Amino acid sequence: MNPELSQDLSLLHLVINASLPVQIVMALLLGASLMSWWFIFIKLFALKRAMRATNRFEREFWAGGDINAMYQRVTNEREEAGEMAHVFEAGLREFMKLRRQTGLSAHAIIDGTRRAMRATCQRELDGLESHLSFLATVGSVSPYVGLFGTVWGIMIAFMGLASVAQATLAQVAPGIAEALIATAMGLFAAIPAVVGYNRFTHDIDRLSSRMESFMEEFSNILQRQATKTA
Amino acid sequence: MSFPADAPFVSRPVPTFAAGLLALGVHALFALLLVFGVSWQTQQPAPVMVDLWDAFPAPPQPAAEIPPAPPEPVKVQPAPRPAATEPAPVKTPDIALEKKQAEAELKAKQIAEDKARAEAREKQLAEQKKREQLRQAEEADLMRRMADEEAANAAKLTRLAEARAAASRRQAAVASVVGEYQDLISAKVRGNTRIPASLVGNPEVRCRVRLLPTGEVQSVQVTRSSGNPAYDDAVVRAIEKSSPLPLPAESDARAEFVPELLFVHRAKD
Repeated sequence: MNPELSQDLSLLHLVINASLPVQIVMALLLGASLMSWWFIFIKLFALKRAMRATNRFEREFWAGGDINAMYQRVTNEREEAGEMAHVFEAGLREFMKLRRQTGLSAHAIIDGTRRAMRATCQRELDGLESHLSFLATVGSVSPYVGLFGTVWGIMIAFMGLASVAQATLAQVAPGIAEALIATAMGLFAAIPAVVGYNRFTHDIDRLSSRMESFMEEFSNILQRQATKTA
Repeated sequence: MSFPADAPFVSRPVPTFAAGLLALGVHALFALLLVFGVSWQTQQPAPVMVDLWDAFPAPPQPAAEIPPAPPEPVKVQPAPRPAATEPAPVKTPDIALEKKQAEAELKAKQIAEDKARAEAREKQLAEQKKREQLRQAEEADLMRRMADEEAANAAKLTRLAEARAAASRRQAAVASVVGEYQDLISAKVRGNTRIPASLVGNPEVRCRVRLLPTGEVQSVQVTRSSGNPAYDDAVVRAIEKSSPLPLPAESDARAEFVPELLFVHRAKD
């Protein structure tokens, strides 16, 4: 009597038999999910490395020692040195250049140095923050996209129901099941994206504040140097 | 003025390819979990009839424990006669005193030997007695245990018989309720049946009706046709029209109807 009842409700079957808009929504969500996981892993690697490099640099810097030797070391292995080392390098390079010019007050020298350091810091943070907005977008939008697919699928299922004389649950069940898969996919894409976004912004905030304080402390050291020689 | 030729700060690129592979891996894992972990079951499990028993039927009687053979009182060999051989008669001594002395010594030795033998026998007897007592105690214990077990088994059997009787009573009650409701359903369906004019005789239609727990008809399937398709259709329509069907309130009787009911319909009855 009801062939739908004995139908196989396997997952693949449901996806293949879904109506076109629902299928498009599912494909969209699958793509979003893939991309967001890709970015999550990229960010995970990048931030882990940045944290490690920053820890190492801070340890070396505050262990005392010759600033010039440190500068040499940082410039030699620039690719591995990390964000804070780049800030340090930019600051020290600007400081040396400005000091060579005569007629500049210590105040002006330190100001220039700080500007150089701030610019480098901003650039590094920008590199770290790339792709994060994608995660935020996926996290906030994909549930709605999935919901749209679900609503559409349920609409189709009920329209089909209107055309039969005797309405039974078995006639709408497959339609609703396939429609709900869209919501599930939306949530599957959104949850890791939101978690990743929150975690990465937190990590970047911490890195940024550490760099900020390093810049202040390093400026103080350079200022002492400048007033001593001036 | 010229622009400074400072090298830009480049960090080693992040392994994006590995990240992509990991992302694919996560999705593959999730898909596998979904396909194999979630059973998208569509078939309703067949109704299961459950009998409730107060006690389990008696397990096969464990082979009566063979009492460990009471340790046979080991027959203690009588203590070997110490120095069984009589001391060889000494060459007749020349002096009578010596002879007498020797005799006295021999006598004393014999007395001592006798005494030792008697003691050993006494000891042996006492041991035997003790062992006997122990064995008797063990036997009594075993008998008592066997009697206990028998009593327990008898009690279990009577309990079982009672449970069986109660179950059969209950089944009889359920059967009467089921019959009553079968009549009710038949009456309702018959009231809704419009017998086609082409029908001759009193043919029988068997249908399989799937019901929701509320009594609503989910689907009707003709399992054995009457040979008259118009009449088959009329019966199917009548069953659908009779939805919801009256159902008994008790769950035992209801199990006969939900989720599947085999329905036999005759035109005139």
